[in-house]
Amino acid sequence: MSKGKWGPKMLNSILPVLLAFGIGAIVILLIGEDPLEAYGIMLGKSLLTTKGFLNTLHYAAPLLLTGLAIAVTFKANIFNMGVEGQLLFGGFFAGIAGAYLPVGDPLLHKLLCFAVGMGCGVLFAMIPALLKAYCHVDEMVVTLTLNYAMIKVLEYLSTGPFREAGSGYVCTPTVLDSAMFYRLGSSRITAFFFVALGAFLLVWFVMRRTRLGYEITAIGKNPEFAEATGMRVHRKIIVLMALSGALAGLAGTGFMLSEKFKYTLSFSGNPGLGWDGMLIALLGRHSPAGILIAAVFYSALKTGADNINMYTHVPKEIVAVIQSLMILFLAVQFLDERYGLLARLKARKGAKADAITR
Amino acid sequence: MSAIRTVNLTRTFDGFVANDRINLTVEPREIKCIVGENGAGKTTLMNMLYGVLKPTSGQIYIHDEPVAFRSPLDAMEKHIGMVHQHFKLVPSLTVYENILLGVELNRKWRGRPTPLIDRDAEIQTVEALIETYHFQLDPREKVQNLSVGLCQQVEILKMLYRNVSILILDEPTSVLTPQEVDVLIRKLKDLRDAGKTIIVITHKLREVMALSDSVTVIKQGRVVGDMRTSQTNERALAQMMVGRDVVLTVQNDGCCACGRHPAYSVHNLTAENEAGKQVLHNISFDVCQEEILGIAGVEGNGQSELVKALSGLMTVTGGSVTLGGQDCTNDWPDELRRKGLGIIPEDRYAQGLCMEMSIADNCVAGHCEAVSRFGVFQRRKVKACRDRYLQKYDIRVAEAEGTVSQLSGGNAQKIIVARELENRPQVILACQPTRGVDIGSIEFIHSQLLQFRNAGNAVLLISSELSEVLSLSDRVLVMYNGCIIGTVNPRTTTAEEVGLLMAGAKPSSGEESA
Repeated sequence: MSKGKWGPKMLNSILPVLLAFGIGAIVILLIGEDPLEAYGIMLGKSLLTTKGFLNTLHYAAPLLLTGLAIAVTFKANIFNMGVEGQLLFGGFFAGIAGAYLPVGDPLLHKLLCFAVGMGCGVLFAMIPALLKAYCHVDEMVVTLTLNYAMIKVLEYLSTGPFREAGSGYVCTPTVLDSAMFYRLGSSRITAFFFVALGAFLLVWFVMRRTRLGYEITAIGKNPEFAEATGMRVHRKIIVLMALSGALAGLAGTGFMLSEKFKYTLSFSGNPGLGWDGMLIALLGRHSPAGILIAAVFYSALKTGADNINMYTHVPKEIVAVIQSLMILFLAVQFLDERYGLLARLKARKGAKADAITR
Repeated sequence: MSAIRTVNLTRTFDGFVANDRINLTVEPREIKCIVGENGAGKTTLMNMLYGVLKPTSGQIYIHDEPVAFRSPLDAMEKHIGMVHQHFKLVPSLTVYENILLGVELNRKWRGRPTPLIDRDAEIQTVEALIETYHFQLDPREKVQNLSVGLCQQVEILKMLYRNVSILILDEPTSVLTPQEVDVLIRKLKDLRDAGKTIIVITHKLREVMALSDSVTVIKQGRVVGDMRTSQTNERALAQMMVGRDVVLTVQNDGCCACGRHPAYSVHNLTAENEAGKQVLHNISFDVCQEEILGIAGVEGNGQSELVKALSGLMTVTGGSVTLGGQDCTNDWPDELRRKGLGIIPEDRYAQGLCMEMSIADNCVAGHCEAVSRFGVFQRRKVKACRDRYLQKYDIRVAEAEGTVSQLSGGNAQKIIVARELENRPQVILACQPTRGVDIGSIEFIHSQLLQFRNAGNAVLLISSELSEVLSLSDRVLVMYNGCIIGTVNPRTTTAEEVGLLMAGAKPSSGEESA
């Protein structure tokens, strides 16, 4: 659809990464280490060795899904900032279903867990969706704040009703064997990666080829046009939030069944997978292919952190530094693309003079 | 000596001439009205006088001194002030805070200014100002509690405090009640007597007559009349404003079958805008098969709201709409399309097209069923649809795969016309179908509409181009202030008669029932 615009788009994603690595290198130099060596180990171990690459893919799976969950809504200019909450909610109850439902059949049990997890994600996304569609409540605020409400609710549930009695720390019971995804070979990768990949292809197809994808694009680009030509925008907002919530729930379920196996208070890490997804959506410029690449890259950074700790004297926190710098530079670029920062600066002069006279 | 004089002032926007060699003279201490329809170029002219826009060519003289404003700041320096149509006030601040915004009075400490604001001095200053000009305002009142008329007074006071000698008001009465209009007129006359020069932009002729000393009529970017108000009347002004050259080149043989088979009926339709103000009052009409019903009127008299209500973008509060015997009051746009309504919207880039999407995507908008199966687009069908439209409607594109933003206005409009006509509606709602479109496309779109009618369908044509309405329609309704004020027969009427109706004058004799 938009040929020839890939150049600046790619540049907008690559530049922040390079800048972040550049400044990271200065930091490493200041500690008296060799940045090239550190980066070589970090990326080499997580991308260039088979085992490391498969581990990277394993951690990329939930990130890919949360990135998509955010990107589909951003495409329609709806801002679902509640992916983290939806993921936690979905993951938690998928874990509960995995631990308590005595279904013998492994496939059936997993399907059931996925249904529960995705259902929870959708359910939780419906609150801001209905408020937005029927009461014109800003979805960004609602989704953002509900994340914290959800964290507290789950804290209560995991310390109270669903606490594993025999455990020394707060967690829910471990999911049953029949619900677990087992490692394939010696790396950490499980079949869930392929589930995520399947979901990714499905979303790609929906966005590119179907009427829903077309309408989402139209709503994002010109909502008035969308409404006038008979796409019921408020209905589509609900469908879209449901899709986003389902993807978030899927990510949570998969993370639960393939990695964590029980809900702990630090289930999703810090920053959570939902927040990472936002960065990935930005890095991938909301395009499916971009998100796939961004998810793998980001996951490589995360797994590379351990290697950097093990093989060099650089502390693993350097990865957090690089991540934050990336967010910082991406935000700048993001503004530029969406709001035309340059154009705004140019217009500023005239507007300023205008404002004073009024 | 004149307060403002312009010599051959011209402004173009990408080749479109908005102001064409305007020669305007405003005498000191007079009230000058500038009248013309929307899009005639009044606002462009004022923006040049106020430094918002730069003239393409020509010269402005203020008090016989040539000036070149770079921004409104320069205009303020020459004591020119402007009251915009939409007020620039801070609702949560008080009257005196708004008036002194940006020029606050600071508390003094040992003769030196401090950063603290001296509230008492501010209130006193504003009280004195209100006193001087005999306004009725409490400086301590918050602006959000004021009526629209009083807000406007605050705006005027803001300008007076800044010591303007030339005051420009852009459509000052458009938001006022008749009583507030009378107050405003009185105030402006007082100000003139106090030595101010006032320029008022408007298209309401009654107010021109009541208010001004002299009047300039602008039509399509040119001055077409300039006279003392005492030497003219509403009738003559209306004629000058709307009586443009007929551009019709299409033969309309006419085949009025009025009353035989109503295809589209609107009955007692009422609607309110977001502010809760009633904008449509009991609108009723039938559009029959094989008929083009035109709706004429000066813009802003409820046509936009009528279109929104009829195309499913605005909820109606009363009345009913029937299409081919089916009720479609308050239907959604997709339901309306399914029932056989084609819509050519008022603003093609807002509601009709998505500029950043491809031509093909725009061709199928609103009619996706035909090109998709189980919700999946069939690319071949979408492309075939686009190619058919491009060929049949002679839409010229540089690149078929490109986006709509690359097309000229005429070609973009033809995409909408193609899309709406090709999906076989029974009724077409055509709003401003040829606005900003080149002559060739105008002719083409007109002939398509006539062809559509001749095939036995109904067209509701809403346009502010009087010549278009008169030459295409079989029957013309005139809208004024949210009401249908009269019906005329386009074959026998005169531009003068329609102009009077458009200005709100009730017809003297019969022929009133809509």
